[in-house]
Amino acid sequence: MHHISETPRRPSVLHIFKIYYPDLFGGTLTVIRDVCASLKDAFTSAVLVCSQSAEQRNIVVNHVPVERVHSFGNVLSLPAAPAYPWRLWRKIAEHDLLALHAPFPLADLVFALGFGRRRPLVVHWHADIVTHAGLRWFIEPLMRRTLRQAKAIIVSDHVLIETTPLLREFEDKCHVVPFGIDTDVYDWPKIEPHHVNDRGRLVLACGRLVPYKGFDVLIRAAVNHNFEVWIIGEGVERARLEQLIRDLGLGERVKLLGSVNDCERIKLMCLADVFVMPSVTNAETFGLVQLEAMAAGRPVVNTALDTAVPRVARHGMEAITVPPDDPEALGEAIDTLISDPERRRRMGLSARARAVSRYSTAAFKDAMETVYRSAVTAASDEQVPAQDQLQVTGLFESVRIAAALAWSDMRHRYVRSLLGPFWMSLQMAIVVAVLGSVIGQISNADMLARLPMLALSMTAWTFLNSVVLDATTALQNSASLIRDRALPPVIFLLQCTFRQGLFALHNACVPLVLWLLLTPHELSGALAALPGLSLFVICTFALSLVLGALATRYRDLKPIIESTLMLAFLASPVIWSSEMINHRSTVMRLNPLTHLFAVWREPLVGGHVDASSVIYVLVALALLLCASVLTLVHLRKAAFWI
Amino acid sequence: MASISLRNVCLDYPLYGAYDFSLKRRLLGHLIREKGEMRIIRAVDNVTIEAEAGARIGLAGPNGSGKSTLLRLIAGVYPPSSGQVAIKGNIVPLLGLNAGVNLDFIAEDNIALLLRISGRKPTRAVIDEIWAFTELEERMQRLPLRMFSSGMLMRVLFATATAFPADILLLDEWLSVVDEHFAEKAEQRLQNLVSQAAIVIIASHDQPLLRRTCTSIINLDHGRIASTVTVEQPSTLPFEFREISA
Repeated sequence: MHHISETPRRPSVLHIFKIYYPDLFGGTLTVIRDVCASLKDAFTSAVLVCSQSAEQRNIVVNHVPVERVHSFGNVLSLPAAPAYPWRLWRKIAEHDLLALHAPFPLADLVFALGFGRRRPLVVHWHADIVTHAGLRWFIEPLMRRTLRQAKAIIVSDHVLIETTPLLREFEDKCHVVPFGIDTDVYDWPKIEPHHVNDRGRLVLACGRLVPYKGFDVLIRAAVNHNFEVWIIGEGVERARLEQLIRDLGLGERVKLLGSVNDCERIKLMCLADVFVMPSVTNAETFGLVQLEAMAAGRPVVNTALDTAVPRVARHGMEAITVPPDDPEALGEAIDTLISDPERRRRMGLSARARAVSRYSTAAFKDAMETVYRSAVTAASDEQVPAQDQLQVTGLFESVRIAAALAWSDMRHRYVRSLLGPFWMSLQMAIVVAVLGSVIGQISNADMLARLPMLALSMTAWTFLNSVVLDATTALQNSASLIRDRALPPVIFLLQCTFRQGLFALHNACVPLVLWLLLTPHELSGALAALPGLSLFVICTFALSLVLGALATRYRDLKPIIESTLMLAFLASPVIWSSEMINHRSTVMRLNPLTHLFAVWREPLVGGHVDASSVIYVLVALALLLCASVLTLVHLRKAAFWI
Repeated sequence: MASISLRNVCLDYPLYGAYDFSLKRRLLGHLIREKGEMRIIRAVDNVTIEAEAGARIGLAGPNGSGKSTLLRLIAGVYPPSSGQVAIKGNIVPLLGLNAGVNLDFIAEDNIALLLRISGRKPTRAVIDEIWAFTELEERMQRLPLRMFSSGMLMRVLFATATAFPADILLLDEWLSVVDEHFAEKAEQRLQNLVSQAAIVIIASHDQPLLRRTCTSIINLDHGRIASTVTVEQPSTLPFEFREISA
């Protein structure tokens, strides 16, 4: 590991979120933008997000490079961007610090799989998951893993730590950094809060048109009152809100202005008489936009959420706080302010004062820089654990050791007897002979011609069966090598596959001899069978890896695995041929072994593999590989189990 | 440059009882809401060790004080529960000599296999050199290890294990089995190895041995560092020469 602090290069930060400008405007994005801008002297920034637009993938926003991974749309508020985890993994290596803007479960998934473990991670906790709370049971463990990995968690207000159980678990990592606002852009001398419009009745609200913002409540609040409402923002709720405005006959007084640029928004803020933030759920954690209104010297009406919202603009001082989702109370509060210019003036002044003193950009910048810097330095001090290095650089070494051990296992057989593993081949020959004669009795088909295939199938089956069964005890049998020589446990699971592979080569002489003796020599099928055969071997290894680790952790699994394998064997066409059994038997079609054998047996006899078999095997392989990755992560703990 | 840095490292060792190995019981426990209490022992408790090249650290302490567990943690066998472990250099853990031995094989093959396990290529010359160190008869190379006495076995295993120098050498108590003559020779070789290795950590009950070989001795008690003693080297000169030239 190199010490980053000595190099003159600015450390680079990768901001991870689901969406960014220009696709959307909103509080979280403002924070990302402000962090990038205010830390530009200390850190170089980059942003990785998803985008539905088909335009160019790499753009530059405010001098910050943004990579946008294509997304096919939103599923449960999450972008469906299958390439995102891959891109994230690739980008992680290029940056010194990762800044995850939570909640973003897609990124949590990547971190949960163990990627990015070597890079320091800072989590900006913007909000808890509120909208799809039903998925909590699945998402929460992922988020917990991410938070555990994080060097620091940044929240905008201390109340978030108190009200979020998940954050309370990591309280010592949490840093409270209130957002900052550049009050200079609100041209103060030109705004004259003391010269408030006596006829003033303009109410402004601003935010994405999404349900939790509660704009429908604001629209309803306008029904029995006489003020005008302008809502800035765009979003999925637009059609519904327009419908609501029409239904209530408020078309004259309530306007949806759509997206508005920064300059225009500031102008509108200064123009408004009252700023309203009617948000209804805790997804609204801070309300950056109410801070903007405060900077513009506007009195605020906000809602009594369990978040920082009523603490940024406090009831009776800068704001009137009303219960969320209560149109009556909201309307009353707005009316109170509209009808009392003196109170508006007073509140506006104190709002401006609070924004300038408490939420300055300088304080925000300093605090962010401190958190980022300490995360980067902490990470450069703390080096990669030895076993991680071992896993990466030692992979080739592991394979070599496993091969040496397997070779020695095979030689051990020769030490004890002259024939060595050929004893097993002899046994195999007998089994094939007996099975062949019995099957020949049952069916009238020409059994002799089928014998080589029967022998080959038995060889393959013996291989699979022995690899998996060996793996269930491999770790326990090699306990001393794992604990005393610190060899990675995966070696001994590999060893099983290698050893049984060597034995299978011995056994393969039976089908080979039968083939030479009994059938016309046709070699073309052998080549076509190779891809299927390698699939078979890979599946076998992955299965042994997963089951071997599981059976070591849970000892009562071994007999279950044994009997399941036997059952799968009997319910597969390994010894039975398709004519003897109804090939469409459901059990047989569902049995993975059937397809695992089909992918190489069919091409071998010059037949054609069913597409369904190939898909079945590939899906099984994908699942096994995922399980293998998880197993490899947990295999670190294997030394405790043996 | 080899270095070991443990910072506030803790290791919670899960003690699996007979029932904890049962998946059925665990699933049943979930169903009947039986809170399976996992027994956990803190085998290494808040240990901080910084060692640079040249350090020779002795671990002392009563049985069960966490000496071997700490060595295994450094070797990477157990992942730490908390704290930071940073290790540079290749580790050669010699914690149990018997690991990887196949008694049915002849001595020569065993040596070859053991060398392969530690990532070395077993050439004829290397094996002969190892055999010369054991001072056993030439023809015994071709005998299965099963026929060796335990003392002879130890000689072979010790000679093999210590045949190559290492950046970081982790040794657990295992010098007590051989006879006096070989013990002396073994200790000499160990001294030599220690002088070549950048960092050595030895766990032993043999206080005189630790005092002879180590620069500092850490006394462990219930997984904690009870005290650290710095040892004055009686004859440091030859060692330092070797270090500089190495």
